[in-house]
Amino acid sequence: MNIEDIEERDGLRLSWNVWPSSRVEATRTVVPIAALYTPLKVREDLPPVLYEPVTCKPPCRAILNPYCQIDVRGKLWICPFCLQRNPFPPHYKDISHTNLPAELLPKYTTIEYTLSRPAQIPPIFVYVVDTCLDADDLKALRDTLIVSLSLLPPHALVGLVTFGTMTQVHEIGYGECPKSYVFRGTKEYAPKQIQDMLGLSQANRSGLRPGQPMQPQNFGAARFLMPVQQCEFQLTNIFETLARDPWTVASDKRPLRCTGVAVSVAVGLLESTFPNTGARIMVFAGGACTEGPGLVVGDELREAIRSHHDIDRDGAKHYKRATKFYEGLAKRASANGHAVDLFAACLDQIGIAEMKSLTNSTNGVIILADSFTTEIFKQSFLRLFDKDTQGHLSMAFNATFDVQTTKELKISGIIGHAISANKKSPCVGETEIGIGQTSAWKICSLTPHSSIGVYFEVVTAAGQPLQPSSRGLIQFVTHFQHSSGQYRLRVTTVARNFAEAGSPQIGQSFDQEASAVLMARIAVFKAEIDDSPDVLRWLDRMLIRLCQKFADYRKEDPTSFRLSDNFSIYPQFMFHLRRSQFLQVFNNSPDETAFYRHVLDEEDVNNSLIMMQPTLMSYTFDQPSQPVLLDSVSIKPDVILLLDTFFHILIFHGSTIAEWRKADYQNQEGYENFKELLEAPQLDAQDLLLDRNPLPRYIVCDQGGSQARFLLSKLNPSTTHMSGGMYGGPGAPGQAIFTDDVSLQVFMEHLKRLAVGASTS
Amino acid sequence: QGAPGDGYGQAPVGQQGAQLFTPGLEGDQQLQLQQGQPQYYGQPQPGYADAGKPQHGPVDQLVNQFGQMGMGQQGQKPFQLHTVNLVGMPIDPRELLADPPEMRLPPGACISNNPMANADPSYQRCTLNAIPTTHSLLNKSRLPFAIILTPYRSLKETDDDLAPPVVSDTVIVRCRRCRTYINPYVTFTDGGNRWKCCMCGLANDVPQLFDWDQQRGQPADRWARPELNYSTVEFIAPSEYMVRPPQPPVYIFLIDVSYAAVQSGMVATATRTILESLDRLPNIDDRTKVAVIAYDVALHFFSLPPGSTESNMLVVGDLDDVFLPQPTDILVNLTESRAPLEALLGKLSDMFKDNHAVGSAFGPALQAGYKLASPTGGKIIALSANLPSLGPGALKNREDPKLLGTSQESKLLQPQSSFYKTFAIECSRSQVSVDIFLTGSGYSDVATVSGLPRYTSGQTYFYPSFNASRSEDAMKLAHELSTLLASPIGLEAVIRVRASRGLRMSQFHGNFFVRSTDLLALPAVPWDQSYAIEMQIEETLNQPFVVIQTAVLHTTSFGERRIRVVTQAIPTTQNISEVYASADQIAIATLLANKAVERCLSNKIEDARDAVMNKMSDILGAFKTNMTAAGSGASAQLSICDNLKLLPILLLGLMKHVGLRHSSQIPSDLRSYAHCLLTTLPSQLLIPYIHPCFYSLHNMPPECGTIGENGVIMPPPLPLTSERLERHGLYLIEDGQTMFLWIGRDAVGQLVQDVFDLPAYDQLRGGKATLPILDNPFSQRVNAVINKTREMRRTPYWPHLYVVKEDGEPPLRLWALSGLIMDRADQTPSYVQYLTQLKDRVSQ
Ligand SMILES: [Zn+2]
Ligand SMILES: [Zn+2]
Repeated sequence: MNIEDIEERDGLRLSWNVWPSSRVEATRTVVPIAALYTPLKVREDLPPVLYEPVTCKPPCRAILNPYCQIDVRGKLWICPFCLQRNPFPPHYKDISHTNLPAELLPKYTTIEYTLSRPAQIPPIFVYVVDTCLDADDLKALRDTLIVSLSLLPPHALVGLVTFGTMTQVHEIGYGECPKSYVFRGTKEYAPKQIQDMLGLSQANRSGLRPGQPMQPQNFGAARFLMPVQQCEFQLTNIFETLARDPWTVASDKRPLRCTGVAVSVAVGLLESTFPNTGARIMVFAGGACTEGPGLVVGDELREAIRSHHDIDRDGAKHYKRATKFYEGLAKRASANGHAVDLFAACLDQIGIAEMKSLTNSTNGVIILADSFTTEIFKQSFLRLFDKDTQGHLSMAFNATFDVQTTKELKISGIIGHAISANKKSPCVGETEIGIGQTSAWKICSLTPHSSIGVYFEVVTAAGQPLQPSSRGLIQFVTHFQHSSGQYRLRVTTVARNFAEAGSPQIGQSFDQEASAVLMARIAVFKAEIDDSPDVLRWLDRMLIRLCQKFADYRKEDPTSFRLSDNFSIYPQFMFHLRRSQFLQVFNNSPDETAFYRHVLDEEDVNNSLIMMQPTLMSYTFDQPSQPVLLDSVSIKPDVILLLDTFFHILIFHGSTIAEWRKADYQNQEGYENFKELLEAPQLDAQDLLLDRNPLPRYIVCDQGGSQARFLLSKLNPSTTHMSGGMYGGPGAPGQAIFTDDVSLQVFMEHLKRLAVGASTS
Repeated sequence: QGAPGDGYGQAPVGQQGAQLFTPGLEGDQQLQLQQGQPQYYGQPQPGYADAGKPQHGPVDQLVNQFGQMGMGQQGQKPFQLHTVNLVGMPIDPRELLADPPEMRLPPGACISNNPMANADPSYQRCTLNAIPTTHSLLNKSRLPFAIILTPYRSLKETDDDLAPPVVSDTVIVRCRRCRTYINPYVTFTDGGNRWKCCMCGLANDVPQLFDWDQQRGQPADRWARPELNYSTVEFIAPSEYMVRPPQPPVYIFLIDVSYAAVQSGMVATATRTILESLDRLPNIDDRTKVAVIAYDVALHFFSLPPGSTESNMLVVGDLDDVFLPQPTDILVNLTESRAPLEALLGKLSDMFKDNHAVGSAFGPALQAGYKLASPTGGKIIALSANLPSLGPGALKNREDPKLLGTSQESKLLQPQSSFYKTFAIECSRSQVSVDIFLTGSGYSDVATVSGLPRYTSGQTYFYPSFNASRSEDAMKLAHELSTLLASPIGLEAVIRVRASRGLRMSQFHGNFFVRSTDLLALPAVPWDQSYAIEMQIEETLNQPFVVIQTAVLHTTSFGERRIRVVTQAIPTTQNISEVYASADQIAIATLLANKAVERCLSNKIEDARDAVMNKMSDILGAFKTNMTAAGSGASAQLSICDNLKLLPILLLGLMKHVGLRHSSQIPSDLRSYAHCLLTTLPSQLLIPYIHPCFYSLHNMPPECGTIGENGVIMPPPLPLTSERLERHGLYLIEDGQTMFLWIGRDAVGQLVQDVFDLPAYDQLRGGKATLPILDNPFSQRVNAVINKTREMRRTPYWPHLYVVKEDGEPPLRLWALSGLIMDRADQTPSYVQYLTQLKDRVSQ
C-alpha cells in the first residue's frame, strides 16, 4: 500500500513508515515519529458496527484489532499493548479463522463502532450575535442566521445571545412576548451569578404544592435552549426584528461591544445546563470588544487596535489581560465539551489574537471576513452544516481522543485544537511536544477535516537486540457524539516495523509531505511561545541536520550534495514555510496570524501543504494548463496564472492578456479561443472553491495591478530588484519582485554548504 | 312592618323603656333634654358667633364671671371668652365640624375687603386666630403656635369648591426684600404707585403692567386683580421661575410579580386599574410618560416602542448593580406607546401567573425606577406584596411580638435600614416622588419603607393581607390607586412659608424634605396632604395683625410653572383671654398628632402619650391659673374655654389611637401605617381618624339617608361610648379609614332582612362586607349613609366596611369598639377617668 492508500483508509500520514529501533537512532533521524491523523476521515466503505467493542482488561482497555493475537480454540486474544490474555465474550464463541468479526479483518485497521448508549441530548447551538452592526451587515447576518436554522437537525437545541453595549440571553421558549435576560457589558460575572440571574438555580422559588403539576419548561435550560423544530418560528421572528444596539455612539467613539461578557454568559449558560455535552457557541462579531472584561481596544477611535509590533514591544495595553480572560473562558468551555466558533466580519481586527484560545482549545472555527454581507462569511458559515450521505451533520461533538502505544514508543504530545484530558497512562513519554503529559485529549468539535498531529518518541535503549520483523503499534481511539445523537467510537490501529540502526529502510520510509506539515506544526507551536527568529533558527538547524543524515554528499563539497526523491522537495517546503505568514507575522495583523495558524493546525497534509507552498497553474494558448514553479519566472505577459494559497484563490492575467481583456476581445467574434482561455482558470477556481472551508478569498487581477501583490508575495524571488540590473533588466525572464528575501536558489546554496560542512561565504 | 320613618326604634317587648344612661355622662342627658328630638343634621349649625345665646346652662355662670374681666375693650365688639367646665360637660360631636374661632382683623387690614381675602381653613389654618404679641404671652398660655397647611387640596364638586383664581399675565409682584407676593394685606402708597410690604414694611414700586390688561391692550382695574382679592391664588410663572423647561408628568409603575403578589390577585387588580386609568392620567398635552417595571427576584423591564403592538421583556438579574437594559422605549410617551402599553397591562398578570419566584428585589426595582425618572423627575408608584428581601434595601423580618407593648416597641417603629431614607433624599434631589402600595400578607416593615414617601412627598397605602378574591379588597386597592392616578399633581415643587417680621418657622412636619432652613422640597405635591409648621415669636409683634404666606412653586401636569400662594392674615393681641378665645382646637389636635408620632419614633410610645397628656394638662393648668378665679390649687371644676372644650377628647382619641395606644396586640406595621396617616391627613380626615363618627342607624330620623338640600342627610353623630349601643340596634362607627356596621344580638329579623337580605341574625356573618342594595327604603338609606361617609371628605381612601356582630369574633368586636374612645378599654381610661386624671394634675 502506498501512502495515499493508507491515508485513504486510516486517515493517517506518518513522518516515518519504518521506525528507528532505539532512542539514540530516533534522535538522529531528526524528524520525530509522528502522525497526522484525521479521526473523522470520511469512509463511505466502513461497515456499520452496531455492537460494543471488545476491550482489554483495565487499566489497558485497548480495543481488539487486526494486530491482536487470536486463539480461536481457547477463545481468547492477546493484547499487543499490554500482552495480557483476554477471553472473548460469549457471543464470539463461533470465531474461527474464516469467521472473524469485522474488527479483526486486516482491511479494518480503522473501524467505527456505534455505541448502544444513546446520547441523551441532541447537539446544541448557541448563537452569540453582535448587534453593533450597520444596517446592511446586520440584515445580512440576520438573513444568514435564519437560513442556518433550516440546516440544523430538527431536534438540535438552539439558543440565542445577542450583545452590544449589554448582553442579552433570549428566552426563546417564552410565548407571551419577546423576552431576554440582560447582563451588564462592563462586568465579569461569576458562573453562579449567571446561573442565578438566568433563574437557573433552585433558590428563590416557592415550593410547589403537592399535586400541582410542575411545568418543566418554565424552569431551567429549556427556556433558553429549545429544539429548533419547536422554536424556528419564534427565533426567525427574533432575528427578523433584531435591531441595532440602541445605545448611541459618539462620532469619535467605537460602539460599546461587550463580546467578552456575551461569550462568558453563553459559556455560563451551557456549563450550568449541559455540562459535558456536545455544543457549539457560535460568536458573530462585527468588531472588537470595547467594553468590559475581554476588552481588546478602548472605545476611543483615536486608540488604534494593537499590531504585532505593539504586542512584541509590550505596548498593547489590553492584550495580556484580555488574552487571560478568554483563556479562562476557553478552559471552562473546553472542560465541558463545548466548542466556540468565531465569525469575524470587519475590515479591522476584532481581537481574534486575544480570543484564539476559545477556538484553539475547543477546535472551533475561525472565519475572517470583511463583512457579514460577503460570500466568505455566508458560505463558510453555512458550509459548517454540511451533511453526510445519511443527512446528518458532518460535524461531531464532545470527543475524547485516546492514544495507546506498544512499549517501545511513548507519546510526546499532540498539536491540534484540543486540551489535555490528563490521562497519565504508561504510554506517556518524557519528551513533550505540543500538549503532552497525557495519553488522552478532549476535542470539543470534529469535522471530517480535523487533523491532529501526534508525536512520539522511541524509548528502547540502544543495543537491545531487535526481533525479526518486530513492529510497534499505535492505536487511536476517538469517542464522540455523532450529530444523529449516537455515541460512536472510531478506532485506528497502526503497525510499523522497526529497523536496525543504519538501515536504509528508514530513509526510504520518509514521508516528506507529512513530515513538512508535522514540523510546521511544531514550528508554529514554538512560534506561539518563542520569538520567531529562534523558531527560524530551529527550523534551519533541523533541516540541516536532516540533510546531513540523509543526503548523499562528500564532506565539504556542496556540489556533491544530492537528496533522494523522497527528501528532495522537503527543503523547498521548509523554504516556503520560513517565508509564510505562519512564521513571518509582520505583514499580517495579529488576528490574521491567529487565523492562519489556527487553520494550519486543523487541516490534513494536502491542504496544509497548499498553505505552506501555494500551487500555481499556468494557462496559455494552445497548451493544456500546467503547474508551474512558484517563482517569479512564471509570470509572463501571455499567460494567466491561477494561484491557490488555500486562503486565497487568485487569477492573474499577464500584461498582454490583461490588455486584451480590457479591450473586450473575449466578446468579439473570432476570439473564442481567448474567451476559453480566460474561462479555463475560472472553471478550475470554482472546483477549488467547491469543498474548501473557510471559503478562500477570490481575487482576479492583472499584471501591474495593486491586487497582484498577493501573488508576488508568494513567489520565489528568483528575479528581484537586486538581481540582474539595477531594477531588474528587461532582459531577465519573469517579473522582478521588490523584496530583500533570499531566493530558493540562494537558500539551497546555503543549505548545501552547511549540510556538507563547508564554510559559508 | 313599620311604616317608613317608624324606624326600628321600638325595642322588642320586654325592653321597652330601658333607656340606659351612664351616671358619669349625666351631661349627655342634659343635651338630649335640651335639644329634644335629634333632627338636626342639615340644619344650620349653632354658630360660635352667637355668643350671647346661652347653650349650656351650667356654663353661663362662668361666662358671666369672665364678662367682668375687661376683655375686648377696643372698638370692636369684645371677644367673649366662654369658659366651660369639662367635668360633666356633654360632648356634641357636631361641634367638631364647626368653623375655627372667628378672626377679627382690624378694619381696613384687607385692602379689597373681599370676603375671600383670608385663608380658607381647608388651605391653611393656624392654631391661634389671635397671635400673642410676645413670646412670653404665648408661653404663658401654653398653647402651641403652628399653622396647618393643605395648599394643594382637592376640589369637590359636591362642596361647590372653586379652583383658586389664576393670575395669568405673568405679572408677579413681589417685595424686593423679603420676596413676599403681593396680597390683600399690603398697602398702596404714593398715589398707588408704590406698595408697602405687609411682612417687612418695605415700600416697593408697583410695576406698570400691574394695571394693564395685556390681552386687550388697555388699562385694567387693579382692584379686580385676584391677588388683591383672594387669599389663595395661582400665578403662572415666567421662565425666571424655571431652572429647566417644565417636566412632563412621569409615572413609573413598579409591580411586584412574585408568587405571593400574583396569587393574592394584586397584580391583576393593579394592572387592570392602571389600564383603566390610562385615560384619567393627567395628559392634556400628550407629554405624559409611563414605564412599567415588574419585579420579583429580578427586574423585568418592558420595552414599549411607539408604533408597535407588543412589548419586549428585558430581565435584569443583576441586583447589586442595577442598570437600565436599554436607553430608549422603557419610559415611553403614554400617547405614542399606548397600544403596546395597553397590551402589556392587559396580559401582565397572565404572563406571571405561573411565576414561582419567592423574594422581592424591591430596592433594586426602586433604583431602576429612579434611573428612569431622575433625568426628568416624576412619580414612582411601587406596589409590593413582600418584605424586600434582595439586593440593596433588603430587610429582615424583625417583628417580635414579645416587644409589643414594651418600652422596646418603638425600635420596631424606627427604620431598620438607612437605605430608604438615603434613597428617598436622592429621589427628592432629582424631583422623584415615591408612593408605595403594600399588599403583603406578612410583615411588610411599613416603618422602614414608609421613609420613601415621607421624604419624597409621596404617600403610603397599606392593604394588610390583601386578597383580590375578596371583591372588597380589590375594590379598595382599585379605588385608591385610580384616584391617585387621576388626580392632578404638582411637580418639582418647593414650598416656602413667609411671615411678618418677628415670626419664624421653627419645625416642619409632613412628607417632604427640608432642603434649606425653611425651603420644603416636594418632588410631587399630592392632593390633600397636610403639613404642619411650628412658629416662634422672636420679637414683639408691633403690628395689629401678622401675615403668613405660603407659596408653592410647582409645575402643573400640563406643563405650566405655577405658584400657588395662600395668604393668611391673623390679628395680634396682648390679651391672653383673646389668645384662648381664638385658639383652634382642630388645628391644635392636628399639630399634636404630628408631634406625637415624631415622639413615638424618637423616644418611646409611652413618652409620646405622656407628652400629649402633659400638653393637655399644661393648657388646662395655665388656663386655670390665668383665667379662673380659682387660680392654682384644687378645684371641683376643670375649666377651659368653650372653643377648646373638645380638645381633651380629641387628645384622648389621639392617645387611644392605634398609633399611640398602650397595647401589646398591635402589630408594628399597623402602628407605622397609622403614623403615616397621622402625619399626612388634613384636619378634615384627621379628626374623624382620632375621633370616629358614631351613628345609630336603626332609629335614625326618617329624613336621614335621604337626599336633602346638601346631599344625603346624615344621622346625628353620637358621643363615642358603648353605652349608646342598644342590643337590638344597628350602628355605624367610622374613622375615614374603616367602617364598622355594628349589629346588636337582639336585632329584629326584619332589620336583618332589610339590610342584609338574610332571614335572621344567626345567618349573618361578621367581617369585611359589601352591603347589598335592596328594594326597601331602609336598605337604601343605610347604603346612602355609607356612601356619603365614603365621599364626604376630600380623600383618596376607600374605607372597608366590616359587619360586626355584637357576639361575633372578639378581635373584630374589640377593634370596632376601640373607636368608642370614651369607654374604658384594656388599659386605657374612660373619658371620665381621663378628666379626673387631668383635674388631679391641674390641681397639684
Ligand atoms: Zn491490553
Ligand atoms: Zn417684604
